Amino acid sequence: MKMNDTLIQDSIKVAGKAITKVTEANDNTNWWMWLAIVELGVIAYLILKEKLKSKVTAKQQFKSESLKQDIDFNNIINSSFNSIKLYDELKVKCHPDRFPTDREKNIIAENLFQEISKNKTNVKRLLELKEEAIQKLNINF
Amino acid sequence: MFENTWNNIIDWFRDRSERAKLVRSFNDSAKNSFVGGIAPTLLKASISKGESSYKHQFSNWLNSGYRIQAFTGRVLTKNELIHIGTVILDDSVLVRRLIVLGFDTLEIHGDAGTYGCRWQLKDYIPLPKFNENE
Repeated sequence: MKMNDTLIQDSIKVAGKAITKVTEANDNTNWWMWLAIVELGVIAYLILKEKLKSKVTAKQQFKSESLKQDIDFNNIINSSFNSIKLYDELKVKCHPDRFPTDREKNIIAENLFQEISKNKTNVKRLLELKEEAIQKLNINF
Repeated sequence: MFENTWNNIIDWFRDRSERAKLVRSFNDSAKNSFVGGIAPTLLKASISKGESSYKHQFSNWLNSGYRIQAFTGRVLTKNELIHIGTVILDDSVLVRRLIVLGFDTLEIHGDAGTYGCRWQLKDYIPLPKFNENE
């Protein structure tokens, strides 16, 4: 009976020691487990980030291209009030019929006249064409 | 899904900022031209309600009109208002910018009363058909 009690007590001690060892061992592996979880999280995040990266659609591309271009508001305001007068002046002075004898000038005037008609609401371009007319056709404005 | 929502929010704020910038740039240029004597009338751009029947694929739900109003200075005739509209519509870069920023209506108004002209912007630029499910 006494021997049995000793055996029980010993086995309890052994079990107690074993439990302590397991707990200690668990404490050590917990760090590695957390590290692995964090690592897995980082990898999952990187993969998902790459997958969820928004694909640029044709619509978005059209939009971003449109937003890149510069707008000359000063020219727009200027053209709103001064393009008619300049256009009227240029269309008379640069008309190809004013150069009936000179074939070369007639061709230049024809090209200029076409450009003038195309840009009749753009003062900046009309001024460039006026300069071209002065140089190429020797017109006095 | 979260990513899409986030991108939509960012895009919305970016568009708001670009729309405000477009109006501000126009107003600054108009003011300088008026002060410098280039323009006889002070023009002022603002965002208006717009015309719902002019909607296109980039249109905003609300406030899709770009309104230009003649303020102080000489009173503009109807032909002059039409000419201002034509100048703006002839500038393809500006029309394109207006469209992608959600505007669908261009309005030019005089300072007296409510007379003015209105244009449908999508008529002045070929808009490609985009796949909405993309």
